[in-house]
Amino acid sequence: MAKPRVAFHDFTSCEGCQLQVLNCEDEILGILAAVDIVNFREAIDEKSEDYDIAFIEGAITRDSDIPRLQEIRQRAKILVALGACACTGGLNVLKNFRGIEASMKTVYGEAAGWYETSAARPIDAVVKDDAKVHGCPIPTEEFLELVKSVLAGRTPQIPDYPVCVECKLRENVCLYHKGQYCMGVVARAGCKAWCPSYGGRCYACRGLISDPNNKAAKEILDEKGLTIQNVLDEFRLFNGVYDVAKE
Amino acid sequence: MLPKVLSKDRFADFVARLLGGGRVFAPVAKGPQFAFAEIAGPDEVSRIRMDYDISILPPKKLFMPQRETLLTFKDKGPEGVRAEVKSQPTAILGVHPYDLHAIATLDAAFSKGARDAYYLAKRGATTLIGLNVKAPANENQFAADMNAIDPPAGGYDLFLTDLGDRYYVEISTGAGEALADDDMFTPAGAGDHKGKRAYDAAKAAHFTRKLPYDTRYLPELLDVSYDSLIWEAAARRCFSCGTCTNVCPTCYCFDVLDKLSMDAHSGTRERIWDSCQLEGFAVVAGGENFREERPSRLRHRMFRKGKYIFERTGRTGCVGCGRCITHCVAKISILEAFQQIADQVGA
Ligand code: SF4
Ligand code: SF4
Ligand code: SF4
Ligand code: SF4
Ligand code: SF4
Repeated sequence: MAKPRVAFHDFTSCEGCQLQVLNCEDEILGILAAVDIVNFREAIDEKSEDYDIAFIEGAITRDSDIPRLQEIRQRAKILVALGACACTGGLNVLKNFRGIEASMKTVYGEAAGWYETSAARPIDAVVKDDAKVHGCPIPTEEFLELVKSVLAGRTPQIPDYPVCVECKLRENVCLYHKGQYCMGVVARAGCKAWCPSYGGRCYACRGLISDPNNKAAKEILDEKGLTIQNVLDEFRLFNGVYDVAKE
Repeated sequence: MLPKVLSKDRFADFVARLLGGGRVFAPVAKGPQFAFAEIAGPDEVSRIRMDYDISILPPKKLFMPQRETLLTFKDKGPEGVRAEVKSQPTAILGVHPYDLHAIATLDAAFSKGARDAYYLAKRGATTLIGLNVKAPANENQFAADMNAIDPPAGGYDLFLTDLGDRYYVEISTGAGEALADDDMFTPAGAGDHKGKRAYDAAKAAHFTRKLPYDTRYLPELLDVSYDSLIWEAAARRCFSCGTCTNVCPTCYCFDVLDKLSMDAHSGTRERIWDSCQLEGFAVVAGGENFREERPSRLRHRMFRKGKYIFERTGRTGCVGCGRCITHCVAKISILEAFQQIADQVGA
């Protein structure tokens, strides 16, 4: 059987998620033995438009991105959104709330008019994706789990429960017990509670679980003294695409 | 076996003696809270906090690790499968009575029917050094109601009571007897026995009862409250985050996952803690979820704690340690629920 051909494509992103792929040091040889990588700007010069699996990094932020993404969708049998930018639009969606023109002025100043832009969107707002690897950046283990599952033809085991689960398994002192607050109660686990384990709070960079209790989250954040605007900002940081961030 | 006395001057020697027999776990500070952690050598004795109030995770993590490899597999067919039943001699120092009761419940659960080789191997290699505790860790504890402020008969090897300059040491097993067979232990005298009695009297006064009824009525009161609105009210703020079950010393649900290697036919089978509070817990083949709503999941947990585990093992499913209340970000309280059901009869 021919090895599946894999391509990496990036849209608006910091390319940090592709770096995470290169960080899979121990397993990278195993990946290379199992697949042919035909397109990966971060690592190789070769370029081919013939591939089976496409990993898409980055959000869609320009109308001219759309035909490019549609073409990738047509070529790929399996299309995977890689990272927060691709899965939920990630940080890029912030500009939709700040006002696109104002954001352009901040970034490009007088030259703002030279650049094309539109509201930031995740990949699945434009084409269907077959899988998502969440996170900003993606956890290497989840990327590997996905690659192995695709190769074995089975459904990847991606958690759909709050970050708190992994946080408690690591026996962390909860930030709410330290007088702070945290979005882990509604954020999707799979990062092994990265941020709370190193003293920071969770910003829900891996998106929200499928049945988040957003009302309760707003309530406990309010009890911690956050204003309505603060609470919305917490949701908007990475999850501006969800309705809960809009009200 | 008659009680003995261990002078606190000899505590470090006692820990060194335990270290001579294998790994030692004891309560240590974790930020403002406490956790059972390995004491790697005699120079770490000063980390041990015998004055700890309660650990974040209960000692069950040492018999049923959060993540554990059950077997490795290679190629197809049974020849490539290797079970990984692992254990090493371990002493756990400083286990409070409510946690000793919880371990007794787990022992019963894992020995019933299909005996769990993984749990029982670790449990069998463990020496339990209990530690008396004079007052509740916080307002969430109701261990007296659950009859869990004194250690269960036979549920420990040694049981220490802090008498100021010395520990009063009760001995309940042959292993405990062997451990206490050293000149650091001296026979307890009249003053020591009196000290222990005074300690327990003070304890009984501090651990006031919080339920309006005797817990023998708990299973029946739950039964009549099955359709009560209290479950829905409590679940309104629930995140289905599983913290309450992960920190519970008697919860033992787990999930089994196969982790593949890149070659796609070798790998490991692992079990990780699971929780009946998670949305996906009751999803069965075909995608049907028979406990889809938060209130029914919350009610299920409370029924397991107050009724089902008892019916299954003959031992209490809740020891009143209060961890599930303390660590719930939404402050959902099983104690409050158990109090509220007293008024549900005929309601
Ligand atoms: S998700 Fe984060 S790390 Fe990944 S590309 Fe976007 S900004 Fe970079
Ligand atoms: S620190 Fe955050 S993730 Fe951890 S238990 Fe608390 S709320 Fe959940
Ligand atoms: S803890 Fe939260 S913010 Fe941090 S990596 Fe995990 S999901 Fe992202
Ligand atoms: S800890 Fe609290 S919020 Fe989390 S599942 Fe349990 S009851 Fe619900
Ligand atoms: S249900 Fe709550 S109070 Fe009861 S044993 Fe479990 S954690 Fe402790």
